[in-house]
Amino acid sequence: MPAVCIRNASLAWQGRSLFSDLDLDLPAGQWTCLLGQSGVGKSSLLRLLAGLTEGMQARARIETDDGRPLTGRIAWMAQQDLLLPWLCVLDNVLLGPRLRQGRPACEQREQARYLLSQVGLSGLEARFPAALSGGQRQRVALARMLMEDKPLVLMDEPFSALDAVTRLRLQDLAAHLLADRTVLLITHDPLEALRLGHRVLVLQGHPARLTDPIVPAGATPRAVDQPQVLALQGQLLRQLTEAPA
Amino acid sequence: MNAPLIRNERFVQIAAPISVGLLFLLIWEIAVRATGVAPYVLPGPLTIFSALQENWLDLLNALLTTLKVTFLAFAIAVLLGVACSLLFIQSKWIEMSLFPYAILMQVTPIVAIAPLIIIWIDDTTWSLTVCAVIMAIFPVISNTTLGLRSVDPNLLNMFRMYRAGRWQQLVRLRIPGALPYFFGGLRISSGLALIGAVVAEFVAGTGGAKAGLAYMILQSSYSLQIPKMFAALMLITVTGVLLFTLMVWLSNLALRNWHESAMKTEN
Repeated sequence: MPAVCIRNASLAWQGRSLFSDLDLDLPAGQWTCLLGQSGVGKSSLLRLLAGLTEGMQARARIETDDGRPLTGRIAWMAQQDLLLPWLCVLDNVLLGPRLRQGRPACEQREQARYLLSQVGLSGLEARFPAALSGGQRQRVALARMLMEDKPLVLMDEPFSALDAVTRLRLQDLAAHLLADRTVLLITHDPLEALRLGHRVLVLQGHPARLTDPIVPAGATPRAVDQPQVLALQGQLLRQLTEAPA
Repeated sequence: MNAPLIRNERFVQIAAPISVGLLFLLIWEIAVRATGVAPYVLPGPLTIFSALQENWLDLLNALLTTLKVTFLAFAIAVLLGVACSLLFIQSKWIEMSLFPYAILMQVTPIVAIAPLIIIWIDDTTWSLTVCAVIMAIFPVISNTTLGLRSVDPNLLNMFRMYRAGRWQQLVRLRIPGALPYFFGGLRISSGLALIGAVVAEFVAGTGGAKAGLAYMILQSSYSLQIPKMFAALMLITVTGVLLFTLMVWLSNLALRNWHESAMKTEN
């Protein structure tokens, strides 16, 4: 798993500068969680890393500790499940192989079935997304991301559209299944960041700056009622609400 | 216990419009008999039905001629329309340059240009078909182009992340996503192909062995066989309804698993 350093990142959209000279480190095999208010540029930073900067003025130096470029080594998970409604669950998980080689190989089908069982969807392979709940759809998206098996995982508020209980369950599942990857998770939810993050940072201000990282103790996913988690959650919420809008 | 039929949605869906139709025919028949209006002014449904029985061989042949033109024109309109849409989405420039001419075809009254087309093209079937294609092609172009362009930008970004090329984007994302729009276009276009075929034949006035339903209507009205004229008219409307139903069925077959328009909802 690579560690990733972003240096001197600048980004402007429609003539408005979102941030400039921003530095961010993603330690290898760890979850880095990024909090911040809407519109501060969190998602744009993620797109910058993914190389999806169409329509933006973006500039950054991105380095990896193994010296290889990031192209083709990134998996992406968004707030919307982004499942193709005309494909069944299994074919959605197999989207990557389908796009690269047309017909997935037998062992890829087996792998997809295994991953679906890992996310708790055994027996639903032939269903279509319209017949699934929001939580189930996001599990399919998780399985599809795991199918790609990329070392760097970018997640843009992947659980924010789910109800509280489903969200906690999916956080546990993701923490378990992505334990050894280098992850950057963008979220609105301080509790989510504190449960899952090895390092938690806040992006705020105009132009936006990153705060010093909070490094909560203990293994992830942390329990919701851990005193440390609750105290830090209060602190983060205060920090977010007191920041100038 | 079986639920009462009235609670069965499928039954109601079929039975309700048929009941309305039968009620309408009943009132029509009663009104014609009560007022004693002459059959060459307004025939009652029973008179029309017996005219249909007496002339069924003539009418069936005419129907087949009209259907041949309709299906030929519809098939060409679909193929040509989809080809145009695929061309339009290749670049904004192509679409901007050509789309006004697609609209031009839509707004030109077919009655006005049909005589020209009939002069230009000797073969009757083909000249009628060209008129019907001009009628039917616009909804296919306009709907399919809209569908091919209406891609969720997030899905497009995801395809870029997967490093899918333009061909993959077209085949695996744009075309499946455009299907609901395409089928919407077919529903309108199938009816227009039939109207186009009938209108063109009205203008052409083709008789003889190649006479279609429009010629039957013209001929019957000249010879004051008004019940036969109504019978031909009825065949056209029934054909139109059946064509529409066929399109709805096709669309449901293709979209039933995933699109809101074709899925059975629980509530």
